[in-house]
Amino acid sequence: MILVPCPHCGARNASEFRCVGEQRARPGDGTGPEPWRSYLYLRSNPAGWVTEGWYHRAGCRRYLTVERDTLTNEVRPLPAEDLA
Amino acid sequence: MSAPYRLGPQPGEVLDRSRAFSFTWNGRRYPAYEGDTIVSALAASGERVFSRSFKYHRPRGVLSASYHDPNCTVQVGDEPNVRAAHRRAAPGMDVRAQNAWPSLRYDVKSANQIVGRFLSAGFYYKTFIKPQRLWPLYDRILNRFSAGGVLTHAEPHEYYDKRYAHPDVLVAGGGPAGISGALAAAESGASVLLVEEEHELGGHLRWGDQAERAALAELRAALAANPAIEVLTDSAVTGRYDGNWVAVVQRNLPQVTERLIKARAKTLVVAAGLIERPYVFEGNDLPGVLLSTAARRLINTHAVRPGDRAVVLTANPEGDAAAADLECAGVDVARVVDARRGGDVVRVLGGRAGVRQVECGDGWKVACDLLVTAVGWTAPTALLNMAGDRPAYSEAAARFFPSKLPDDVLVTGGIAGDGTLDELIDHARATGREAARRALGGGGGWGTTMAPPALPVAEHPALFRGRTHGFVDFSEDVTSKDLAAAVHEGYDSIELVKRYTTATMGPSQGKLETVNTVAVVAEATGHSIGDTGTTVWRPPYVPVTLGALAGRSFEPVRYSPLQPWHERAGAKPLVAGAWIRPDHYGDSAGEVRNVRTNVGIIDVTPLGKFDLRGPDVPQLLNQLYVNKWSKLDVGSVRYGVMCAEDGVVLDDGVVGRLAADRYLLTSTSSGAGTIEEWIESWLQIERPDWRVYATPVTDAYASINVAGPRSRELLARVADGVDLAPEAFGYMRVRSGRIVGVDGCFLWRIGFTGERSYELHVPAAYGLHVWEALLDRGADLGVAPFGIEAQRILRLEKGHLIVGQDTDGLTQAYGAGLDWLVKLDKEDFVGRRELAWQRGRDDYFRLVGLQPVDGSVVPAEASQIVEGGNTIVGRITSSRMSPTLGRSVCLGFVAPHLAAPGTTVSVQLPGGPLIPATVMAQHAHFDPEGVRQRG
Amino acid sequence: MAESPVARSPIAPAPPVALAHGWEVSARRSTAALRITDCTPLDKLLVRALAGGVVAGAFGVPFGRAARDMRDVLVVGSGPGEWTLLARPGAGAAAAAALPDDDLTSVVDLTSGRALIRISGAHTAALLAKVCAIDLAEDVTPDGAAFRTSVAKLVTDVVRHDHDGERSYLLHCERSYGQYLFDALLDAGAEYAIDVEGFV
Repeated sequence: MILVPCPHCGARNASEFRCVGEQRARPGDGTGPEPWRSYLYLRSNPAGWVTEGWYHRAGCRRYLTVERDTLTNEVRPLPAEDLA
Repeated sequence: MSAPYRLGPQPGEVLDRSRAFSFTWNGRRYPAYEGDTIVSALAASGERVFSRSFKYHRPRGVLSASYHDPNCTVQVGDEPNVRAAHRRAAPGMDVRAQNAWPSLRYDVKSANQIVGRFLSAGFYYKTFIKPQRLWPLYDRILNRFSAGGVLTHAEPHEYYDKRYAHPDVLVAGGGPAGISGALAAAESGASVLLVEEEHELGGHLRWGDQAERAALAELRAALAANPAIEVLTDSAVTGRYDGNWVAVVQRNLPQVTERLIKARAKTLVVAAGLIERPYVFEGNDLPGVLLSTAARRLINTHAVRPGDRAVVLTANPEGDAAAADLECAGVDVARVVDARRGGDVVRVLGGRAGVRQVECGDGWKVACDLLVTAVGWTAPTALLNMAGDRPAYSEAAARFFPSKLPDDVLVTGGIAGDGTLDELIDHARATGREAARRALGGGGGWGTTMAPPALPVAEHPALFRGRTHGFVDFSEDVTSKDLAAAVHEGYDSIELVKRYTTATMGPSQGKLETVNTVAVVAEATGHSIGDTGTTVWRPPYVPVTLGALAGRSFEPVRYSPLQPWHERAGAKPLVAGAWIRPDHYGDSAGEVRNVRTNVGIIDVTPLGKFDLRGPDVPQLLNQLYVNKWSKLDVGSVRYGVMCAEDGVVLDDGVVGRLAADRYLLTSTSSGAGTIEEWIESWLQIERPDWRVYATPVTDAYASINVAGPRSRELLARVADGVDLAPEAFGYMRVRSGRIVGVDGCFLWRIGFTGERSYELHVPAAYGLHVWEALLDRGADLGVAPFGIEAQRILRLEKGHLIVGQDTDGLTQAYGAGLDWLVKLDKEDFVGRRELAWQRGRDDYFRLVGLQPVDGSVVPAEASQIVEGGNTIVGRITSSRMSPTLGRSVCLGFVAPHLAAPGTTVSVQLPGGPLIPATVMAQHAHFDPEGVRQRG
Repeated sequence: MAESPVARSPIAPAPPVALAHGWEVSARRSTAALRITDCTPLDKLLVRALAGGVVAGAFGVPFGRAARDMRDVLVVGSGPGEWTLLARPGAGAAAAAALPDDDLTSVVDLTSGRALIRISGAHTAALLAKVCAIDLAEDVTPDGAAFRTSVAKLVTDVVRHDHDGERSYLLHCERSYGQYLFDALLDAGAEYAIDVEGFV
């Protein structure tokens, strides 16, 4: 059972969250169908560290972003400089 | 009743001879003492055969006399698959053999042995396949011959529950290393949970010599004196998951059959000891072939003489000690064969009663009834494997060792190395201290971990298979010959061999057979044991009952405040997600007619409701809905549809503006949770600068829809402070006021049912009060409740779609006929891009109103619409008999070329004929102009 | 039917049933060591305001803590920028009125929207440990700790609020789940002979 480090509530069991998935930046206006659908449906799915969104539905009800190693399920908060 | 093989009191015995009782085995009574296991009591009486094997139905006796003994599975009362070498006998217990018919002694199914050569491993991949029509017969045959006990459904359910635990250090294994580690961790300030699989702590010290027993007594005393250590016996650590999330099944509770403990341990110490390994040779499964630890357990802890005349094959000091114990117990030790000096056992011959003769490596044949083997040890590394370790093989020690552990897992005891008892205890104490230090975050954190110095490793001869073929997996009846044959057939990796032969896949899950399997496969492939490697161990470590996993049934249920009334009125309950809703009150057609004629009231409390506050609410609404919201006046209500980023219809509902900065947004009841998260994702991630608070208030208001030509009359009798005149309170308007004395209510006029209707939102605590008042004050108006089924019919008559019923995961807004709502000239909204692209296409299915030509036929929902006999060109999404029109009415999807009004389509009724239906000009079948709801 | 409206909890009251503060409540007495009480009639307000703003400063209660204010209202820091006020029946309005004016504040009356339960007694932690995965040890969740988590699979707010020297917890959830939560706690407390105590 993965422990997700919620920045508000502290480390909590993953079952309190909904995993939103790999983080992508929402494309701006003027994006054509191909890149838009790539945003909707494609993920890079790395074997290793991925930046991932979770929603703390049974806790503070905040969306948060963490990094997870998909090979070991180690989870860590975003590096401090990325939080800005 | 006599027990001819019961010994006099032994210093280390666990029996209470002052408490004697009897129990039955296959209908016969046998004596026992408190502390006896089922097997020890039966063995004391001279019984040797406890089961028939899985496939060949060979008679089987005690092998390890431990929890993991594969030959001692029995049925106790109504409980199948009981481990008789672990389960304690109890007065009056009714124990029976499994998998044997008509009896254990004369098992007809042992005929399998005759056709054994056709039942080699993997036989079911090659037989019982054709012809396919005989599968039901094959199924019945195979069922009768398969193992496992008998389940009855008549017995009452037992009580299983669970709890959570947060120990600093969890120690798996209660032998000398586990106990010492736990003590040292507790002395360092950690909270400790110590879990032991057997009934007593002590591991191998329990059947050891006097010095070992004295050491055990000291350890037990120290443990009892330390309140920071919680000790669980007869409990198993069944799995280690991410972040040291550890599952423990606790079985030693008086009122709870089994309790699943979900522990988040900061550090896990695995002190699981060593499991003795059987030797593979012809006849190695005969009753009377015992492991040395089995012999010593029976003699020293249960005061049972395992047989009369024995041969001992020993390769280590524990085997030597077993020979000594046998002599002390009065067994005639005819020969001790020392494998360290080249001694060996070639084969054992026997009959139904078990061992009769042992043939030694030097040619000697010894008549006896007992062969005790001590050929080596296996480290039970499963938990470590679950923590990501791949054990490494040591040629010198002839066993696998842990190799690479994460920072939060430590090992100690026999699993980690050898040495004297003092050396093992010292290592365990150092490990316990380190485990506590890591758990409590002592200096340096995870980065500077300190592993205790390694234990010495003793050399041991490599003895796996002798000179003949024998059983490797006793539970699955897999022999070394089967394994060699599998390799010969091309299954040459250990993972493939395991799956093809099922070796290690039985109830003992590899504990007694994995290493022998690896050794035999290595032999057959010509690779080393180390290179062959082991298979991957996954949780659970031991089989777990479904009851323990299920625990108490936590299924949250939601009730409206009006539920007590619905129950008293005999409403038929409808399960809608977590909600219980009234489906109808006995006559849904009558309820429909009453709404169209008089007035009906329906409980719609599960409707998703959101309190929106702040100056930027219109921005939020514009962003999430496909239509426009900037010009919604205070006191007005508007219908809206939300699409997802792919243009697919997500949800619909109405939004009312209650005050300048205050709105009430509604969603579908099933979508309420999704919409809450959706709104929050926009406010938190994409637009954190918007000044909006959205608070879910679904449960805060009881919602009642008052619908029908007389709704205004009824409302006039309950509403206070609201001008109900049509000019003052028109269609799609919202007002606030007091209803039968309850302040803080909202009412709006909307039209799901197609009649003049008012939806009341009442503070939920007063919901029942208002509902009862409506029924009481409207009696002469013909007011009656209507349920979900009636509402479904009413809205279908009006052609109002239900998101998720008349739309699916691919329905974009234009396909649902929502063209009129989509405002592509808005700056941005969710789904805009895809909807703009959709509008340029013409290839999507359209939602249309449909009426079967024969109005008495009501097609089942999801009936397919077909063309040319086998091409699907649509489906029925909603379908009911309309009491108002006296004929069936539907909504459905059709391909664009069939969407023109008047087109006839063919509907395939499930398992039945094709019926014609007509595409209508609009979705509404009744009052398409909406005159009734706007009045 | 001209009498004043009766307010009801989603939790069926244990007999004897009485009327108090306009609510139908249980008047049952109990001297058991482990007790459970339906406290739904308490006024409940959900206040959302900017973290670090004027309202936040006036409360002085950070996220994860609960404290009584001068009006005997229990102020719970139930989320980032979110406070739940629990007050005696009828006292909620005054509490809301007393809030300082701030730019962006939302006060929603959830008296009807939440079911509220109190459990009291030495075994409350053992009971909760059966249905809740949060560490209830003294050094992790002491008196005054507030958190939201999953209790018996239900999203629930929990406040440790010791009372008369006894360990005690307040739990609240969305109203419609109230009976389920009550029943789940009763089941978990059966081992410790839990008994129902009335609101009055």
